[in-house]
Amino acid sequence: MFDLLPERLAWFIVGPSLGLLIVTFFLVLNQPLGASGAYVHSLKLIQRKTDVAVWRIWYFFGIFLGGILTTQIFRDSGKIRSGYASMIEVIEGGPTILIVFVGAVVMGYGAKVAGGCTSGHGMCGTSQRSVASMVATGTFMTTAILTTLVIRILSGGDL
Amino acid sequence: MGLLFGACFGGLLGAANLHEYDTIHAMLRLDEFDVYGLMASAIVVAAGLLWWLERRPTSTVFDGTLTLQRSRPKRHHIVGGGLFGIGWAIAGTCPAPALVMVSSGALYGLIVILGIFIGIYLGDRNNISSSFGDGEHHSSSEEFISL
Repeated sequence: MFDLLPERLAWFIVGPSLGLLIVTFFLVLNQPLGASGAYVHSLKLIQRKTDVAVWRIWYFFGIFLGGILTTQIFRDSGKIRSGYASMIEVIEGGPTILIVFVGAVVMGYGAKVAGGCTSGHGMCGTSQRSVASMVATGTFMTTAILTTLVIRILSGGDL
Repeated sequence: MGLLFGACFGGLLGAANLHEYDTIHAMLRLDEFDVYGLMASAIVVAAGLLWWLERRPTSTVFDGTLTLQRSRPKRHHIVGGGLFGIGWAIAGTCPAPALVMVSSGALYGLIVILGIFIGIYLGDRNNISSSFGDGEHHSSSEEFISL
């Protein structure tokens, strides 16, 4: 809508801002600002469980809302599309849907078992100097880079 | 409160294009180091400030004194982290950016979100980690707060 943001805001602006956001949130609610928790508690709400941290549901929708602000309103980058154009180019749409779905299930399972994801363990946990989070982060960084290497080999370098 | 912090978080992810498959894939292919710089600078800023705040008794707005949580690594951190990394590389996005994908019009993000919910459901049913670790919810008095 408006053209207020550059095509991609530099990492050295976004990174420290995220760091400040994490600290501010600790100062408000004394909680780590992890995203997989938003999924966990949204699922609890759907399952009608009672131990729901309601703010995490709001957080879930907040992320979505923030995305609209920066991709649609402050910048005009959001068009209706698949989001996986470069994968579809190599393996077409149908298999892409299946592969992305399987990847997401593995990711959700892993996040639940590990007790956090990229934001939870990766940023909030390591900032608290939690050794468990550092181990989890080191592990998922390693397997992600290795998996990407395997994908690259399997696709003959196309992906 | 959750909505406000979520909007800031999602907004920053969107501004840095972390919701784009190509951004994450290029990072994991080691073609581009911006996202590593982003994560490292976020950790340095947050870790430094939290360390400084922890040294003095700091009150939080809604939940008493600031307490950081640190656990020892257990098997489930490695197993779960390992699987998470594999899924992350395949889907080319992680839980928060998947939501921003949808806000940016990338509709396959919906498939990712559904998949994450199913994965969490399966992980929860197998009940491998009984408590959520340091990356996630502290079990403190605020659990039911509805801000």
